[in-house]
Amino acid sequence: MVGGSPPAYRARRPGRLTPVSRWLFRRLLQAALTFAAAVVLLFFLMRLAPGDPLSRLAGDRAISEQELEFLRRRFGLNQPLVTQFRAFLGGIAQGDLGVSIEHYPEKVTSLLASRLPATLLLGGTVLLLNFIVGVWLGVTQAVRRGSRFDRWMTRLALAGYATPSFWLGLVLVAFVSLRWHLLPAAQMTDPLLPLDASPWTRAVDVLRHLALPALTLSLTSIAIMMRHQRAAMLSVFRLDYVSAARARGLTERRVLWRHAWRNTLAPMITLLGLWLPILVSGSIFVEAIFNWPGLGSLANDAIAARDYPVLLGTAMLVSGAVVLAGLLADVGYTIADPRVRQK
Amino acid sequence: MIGSLAGLLRRAWRHPSGRIGTAILLILVLTAVIGPAFLADPVVMPDVVAGATPPSAAHPLGTDHLNRDVLSRVVNGARVSLTVAALAVLLALTVGAAVGLIAGYFGGWIDALLMRVVDAALAIPRLFVLLLLLVVWERIPLYALVLVLGTTGWFATSRLVRGEVLRLKQEPFVTAAIALGAGSWRMITRHLLPNAAGPVLVAATLGVGDVILLESGLSFLGLGIQPPTPSWGGMVLDARPLLLSAPWTAIFPGAAIVVTVLAVNLVGDALSAALDPRSA
Amino acid sequence: MIARRLLVPALLLAFATVASARQRPSDHGSIVIVMGGEPSTPVPTLLGMKANDDVSELMFLRLARPGLGKSVSDEHGYEAELARSWSRRDSLTLVFELDPRARWHDGVPVTARDIVWSFERMRDSTVDPDRALLLRHITTVTAENDHRVVIRFRRAYPEQFYDATYQVQPLPAHLVDTIPPARFAGSAFVQHPIGNGPYRWSRREPGRQLELVANPGFFLGAPKLDRVVILFSRDPDARMNMLLDGSVDAYEGMSAISGPKRLEGNPAYRIESQPSFDLMYLLFNQRAYGDRSRPHPILADPDVRRALAMGINRVPVLRSTYGAYSQGADAPVTGAHWTRSLVPAGIGYDPAGARALLQRRGWIDHDGDGIRDKDGVPLNLRLNLYSGSAERGLMAPQIQEQLRQLGVGIEIQRLEGAVWFARRNKGEFDIDFSGTTMDPSPNGIVQSWTCAGRSGTNVGQYCDPAVDSLIERAMTSTRNPESNWRAAYAALQRDVPAIFLASPRALFAVHTRYRNVTIRPESFYGSIWRWSVDPRRRIARDGPGA
Repeated sequence: MVGGSPPAYRARRPGRLTPVSRWLFRRLLQAALTFAAAVVLLFFLMRLAPGDPLSRLAGDRAISEQELEFLRRRFGLNQPLVTQFRAFLGGIAQGDLGVSIEHYPEKVTSLLASRLPATLLLGGTVLLLNFIVGVWLGVTQAVRRGSRFDRWMTRLALAGYATPSFWLGLVLVAFVSLRWHLLPAAQMTDPLLPLDASPWTRAVDVLRHLALPALTLSLTSIAIMMRHQRAAMLSVFRLDYVSAARARGLTERRVLWRHAWRNTLAPMITLLGLWLPILVSGSIFVEAIFNWPGLGSLANDAIAARDYPVLLGTAMLVSGAVVLAGLLADVGYTIADPRVRQK
Repeated sequence: MIGSLAGLLRRAWRHPSGRIGTAILLILVLTAVIGPAFLADPVVMPDVVAGATPPSAAHPLGTDHLNRDVLSRVVNGARVSLTVAALAVLLALTVGAAVGLIAGYFGGWIDALLMRVVDAALAIPRLFVLLLLLVVWERIPLYALVLVLGTTGWFATSRLVRGEVLRLKQEPFVTAAIALGAGSWRMITRHLLPNAAGPVLVAATLGVGDVILLESGLSFLGLGIQPPTPSWGGMVLDARPLLLSAPWTAIFPGAAIVVTVLAVNLVGDALSAALDPRSA
Repeated sequence: MIARRLLVPALLLAFATVASARQRPSDHGSIVIVMGGEPSTPVPTLLGMKANDDVSELMFLRLARPGLGKSVSDEHGYEAELARSWSRRDSLTLVFELDPRARWHDGVPVTARDIVWSFERMRDSTVDPDRALLLRHITTVTAENDHRVVIRFRRAYPEQFYDATYQVQPLPAHLVDTIPPARFAGSAFVQHPIGNGPYRWSRREPGRQLELVANPGFFLGAPKLDRVVILFSRDPDARMNMLLDGSVDAYEGMSAISGPKRLEGNPAYRIESQPSFDLMYLLFNQRAYGDRSRPHPILADPDVRRALAMGINRVPVLRSTYGAYSQGADAPVTGAHWTRSLVPAGIGYDPAGARALLQRRGWIDHDGDGIRDKDGVPLNLRLNLYSGSAERGLMAPQIQEQLRQLGVGIEIQRLEGAVWFARRNKGEFDIDFSGTTMDPSPNGIVQSWTCAGRSGTNVGQYCDPAVDSLIERAMTSTRNPESNWRAAYAALQRDVPAIFLASPRALFAVHTRYRNVTIRPESFYGSIWRWSVDPRRRIARDGPGA
């Protein structure tokens, strides 16, 4: 996902490929191309910035021109942009994204690897939460279409979607953590948890820290899941086989979940590609506010510190994930829905 | 087949969300336009040392850490936020429509190239692109913000317009007209506008909400609207440390964002319901 | 009989001592500190952030440390660290006797070889050019035997001792002398540093926390707190929240704007503050905006600079920003400098005088637009402001407003850190809102306020040879430095190269359960090993440590 050359699929002679594999091959190629273009875009976008990325190292002390020059050489920033770009591409080919400026001599890849689990945990929790709650609410709304419940759920979801995550996060911290002391205000774990604490204690500790950031992200994004689920259900309700299932005298519950909902799954999968960018954007704010040690706060810090290699690495990782999610969604959709395969 | 734009708007108006949203939006816009004339200067600080004072008769929403009137700043912030959002969305629509038209009309490698660029751009979360672009600017004037928000918001629109163009090109009456020697360009522009207007309008409305949220987020990060110009995101940023001791400084600008974006999205909701009545 | 009668209490006493030595509940405890950056390479000689320097204070000692409240040129006022004692052979030679008890964390004794090797490494300008510059007066560092180090200087000056002790934190030569400088930062040693101080490395979870544990055999006395955990967040508000929700015990560098207010009435924390080496000032550019070949069209006139200084009432500005936690500055001398009391009173607030002075210099508002002008040029100045500083962001508009009342237009240019810094270095400003941390020695003044500094950090290009020679005399005089510094500061003040605003006090929030809390002006971390937890107020995480 991070860098790496496009997957070299040694295909059999194209003529002998089945339509599905040919489609898959083209889709893979397209994804690789998209990713490559995004990388080039990112590199030049970032290196256009004026100001010396190293000057931030000076922080609050005076830094001399000699020292700056010394550091520029260290990070290869004295080279022309094209040379830097070539070196960057060479690095990618070897799975090397360079060295962080702020956390010298730490490698960008190891920084990303160390921050990825926290983000996956937070993002995964939000995804799960939204899927379970969002699906249930969306289905219920579709069933009770036009009711007061339906209307108010729509409005509530829209209100959540209209709420800036940074503001909601701040308000939650201020009241839930600082005023009522119910949950911790920041971090992912209690820093002084005994080393011999039981896995149970550890899990509870992480869950307590996870609660507020996950809630913030979930409340501000669940609307998407609900709305799509509701729309998907409504379109399925119109189909013959749902009426047929009803006619066969199956219980409403069975019709709803077994027949109707199962068929909305495929379109819901494609949402994954839509989801990731929203989650990542939200996590830049939410992770910073809750000091959650994930990619969002890494990116936020890297922006403040002008840590180009780290910023580039994070953006590449995220873009790679988006491309991959789009690819997986398409493939999943194709597998889930035979009609698409035929096209 | 979707009716005319007027019919769409009429149907949207019948939707309760549409009426509520429009009403709120109208009030907001009116306040933003005429409100500042009746309120204190949002920039002047009468007595800084006094600090944040709670809501009172003189300051209905209290004052902020620099003892500036919060109401005045919220209202002035509305003016800035709405203007930035409207202009940025307008710009995004123009660029998106142009790119979509070109891609769909010419097809071939132009289409392929443009759509790959759109794919690549869509792969990078918009906030990232914005952050990377904004640190480029040494100072961020309002027009720069509009420019940046506009030029990062057209990707989805271009896809939408391109799809409409491709669909139109398949229509029998278009192919027939082209076969008879009519300028296909004219055909497309004449038929495209009424056909694509609905989906584009929905996208634009939702785009306004997104841009307001993005702009407030950027301002919160210090990369959006620059002080002393009041902005909702910037106000929340300033109020962070005061959230418990002087909650009014943070609650009101935040609520302003929620209400505005909600109103916009309610209208968008009504419009999309009107566009596709079966899903309502 | 007598002997027996005495024996019992003596035994009891012995038991009591043994028992208390074994249990000593007050000797357990932990402290969680939150920092603004992640200390990923807390090892001396690696260029880096303040957070790294701070953590290295806990693990690496110096030869000696400036005594609290003592002049840095008073070599008898220093406190012993690695060196047990020191003496002077002549005006150019210092001799240090190392403490034979000093050990590296791996058990190997600290020897003269370590000191010699470390000085060689740090005087190498390809390793750390800035430090090499600071050590340029040292000619040789030699070991006479395992525990005697001799440092020779090129010339006699009052702060030889300071240079010999403060700039270098020795590294264990036996572990690092085979690592080439270019590979050092990436070496295994940096991943798991071995020092000689009160705390040793325990573990680091990148992006989350760093943990040090007490070095029980520390030769100056076992640390009373056995775990030091470092957390970090770039966001000051998140740092404050971590303090308020109880997950952090100490917060160094708390913002004066909101910190004290948020801790008001909170019995769990007390605010410690002390004079710092930080200085806030409005720096005038002597040269034209972005063009050093021409003098500044407005600010080259010292009377205009003086009038601007007279027009600023810094009392309300400082109060709204720092509350009680700053002291006014009248020269490039901070609250923690020993020469602080030698600074003459500065230019007072005198708006009428300022107006009159501007009038006299021909700056009159001819066109009635509220801004004075002269020969058709309006008195408008660009003030460069670093957008990352909340304090400066609060002060700048107030200063703008005060000067506007004087008929001076100030355009505030809020700039992102890297841009602000680059413009400052290129001279692209009329007035720069500067904030710096100065060297603990008053000699640091050379860098930014003399003609020689113009190629470096003297970005305002201020140059007055008369002031230079007075500073030089103050630095080199061994007899009466006080009166010489006084004269130098007075001469500098006459030129008004900047409007000196304040030296903010350093603010710390520390949990009230700690006792013996002393904080050194040069580093918050220097004496943490002497702190202890009040045994009656221990909390769960203080419990018998790791």
